[in-house]
Amino acid sequence: MHGERPGFQGMSDDSLAWLGTAPIPAAPYHDPAWFELEREAVFRRSWLQVGHICELPDSGSFIRREIEALNVSLLIVRGRDGEIRAFHNVCTHRGTQLVEEESGRRGTFSCPYHRWSFGTDGALLAAPDFERFFIDKADCALPRVALDICGGLIFVHLGTPDKGLRDDLGPYATMLDGFPAAQATTFSEYVYEIDANWKLTYDNFQENYHLRFIHPRSGAPAVGEDNPFGYPVKMGFHGPHRTQTIWTNPDPAPKPVQAQSFGRAARFAMADGTAGPHSRDYLALFPNFFILGSPAQPFSHTVWPIDARRSRGVIRLYWQGEDDCASRRYAREYAMASARDIHAEDRDVIEAGQRGLNSGALKHIHFQAQEALCRHLFNAVDERVQAWRAERTGTTPVARAEAIA
Amino acid sequence: MTALLPAAFEALVPFADRWVIDGSIARAARRGDADPADRAAFFTAAAPLLDAALAHLDRYPIDTLPQAEQRLMDMMLTLAHVSLTEEILGDQEPAHARQRQSMRITRSPAGA
Repeated sequence: MHGERPGFQGMSDDSLAWLGTAPIPAAPYHDPAWFELEREAVFRRSWLQVGHICELPDSGSFIRREIEALNVSLLIVRGRDGEIRAFHNVCTHRGTQLVEEESGRRGTFSCPYHRWSFGTDGALLAAPDFERFFIDKADCALPRVALDICGGLIFVHLGTPDKGLRDDLGPYATMLDGFPAAQATTFSEYVYEIDANWKLTYDNFQENYHLRFIHPRSGAPAVGEDNPFGYPVKMGFHGPHRTQTIWTNPDPAPKPVQAQSFGRAARFAMADGTAGPHSRDYLALFPNFFILGSPAQPFSHTVWPIDARRSRGVIRLYWQGEDDCASRRYAREYAMASARDIHAEDRDVIEAGQRGLNSGALKHIHFQAQEALCRHLFNAVDERVQAWRAERTGTTPVARAEAIA
Repeated sequence: MTALLPAAFEALVPFADRWVIDGSIARAARRGDADPADRAAFFTAAAPLLDAALAHLDRYPIDTLPQAEQRLMDMMLTLAHVSLTEEILGDQEPAHARQRQSMRITRSPAGA
């Protein structure tokens, strides 16, 4: 019976009209020249989510992260003093990359070429026959990169941040503190490569309009009679960042194993206290990071551009505590496998969209009112690209991307 | 001679050589590669025992399961993957299996 239950009430289209209603230029979704602008205007000027503190449990723990959009390899290390620092993964002698492993633990980082040796704080400790150089060791430390942490998540800034991370995130910083990832000690992870622009890829995961068509079975709990497209209950915006509160079907009719599996996950979440007030909230942090507050499927998703038409997605499910019993191990395996199933269904259709756009047949694409998060991302990117171009040329920012399209 | 599986789960012994699988990557791959009839038969036999199996396994420390229990654990972890085909996807499985190959598992708490 639906009679006693209030029907779905989402965001009215009018309440989102401030984002604009005009068609969106297509070029930013496929044009290599536009992507060249985004490298500096977007990725050099934003805090970028690169990892989690649980990856660096001990003094000397390190991770290497590649940020292709900026041609950067990062070495992120927990020092002897406990502080986590980020450095460019380059020996200051002649630029050789210091670390090839993706992660590990070391007391010092020694260059394979001439054995310059650096401490976990980035200082040059020793270098063979150093007396013959014309420089002081103190001037040879690894180049430092700005790093900050929020909700257990590690962010870096490859330019000169005009705001600290928490200031930039505003109210979303406190939300992140309350997400399950903030307490995580381990995670599941799967990755994918995709022949598609990072924004086209990212947009797929911030609109629900496609759910019933692309995920007719795996996504069944996300749509329903009251809300056939599964539109969000709420959307919110802060600067270039945005949030939505996800709607779920109140009569999901789960299958038997599905019900047992998610039931176990829910019981663990209650017992662990990870089922907080944000369990249906989803944050989209500019430019390329998502995270969901659900304790049953606490996943994050980062979409890294490789070039204008290729990206890499990294999806993680963050867990609090090691597996302490068979039921928990099982619930985590199921959560990963079921999230992966849904993500797997999106990739083909995103690539089909990219092939269509690459033809140049379209000058514009269109977002409907409930695709507001996609429009908001475009607006934020466009604003930054226009501002950067204006700085470079000494002109006033042009209103929209059509200026170069 | 130790038992292949704990006593209450002998009904699953005929499936042990194909469905006791170590590692999340291998489990996901077997789900996609398996003979559809064998996969369906495994699901039909194992799904009703899931609750009982986990209740049995929860009595042991997870990191030092006896061999028979470890096999049952690995079988139930494989069931997690297989159930998604049998319960959710149905005839979408062949196309879905191809799409899943692009989602490469790199880490899991149970061991990738």
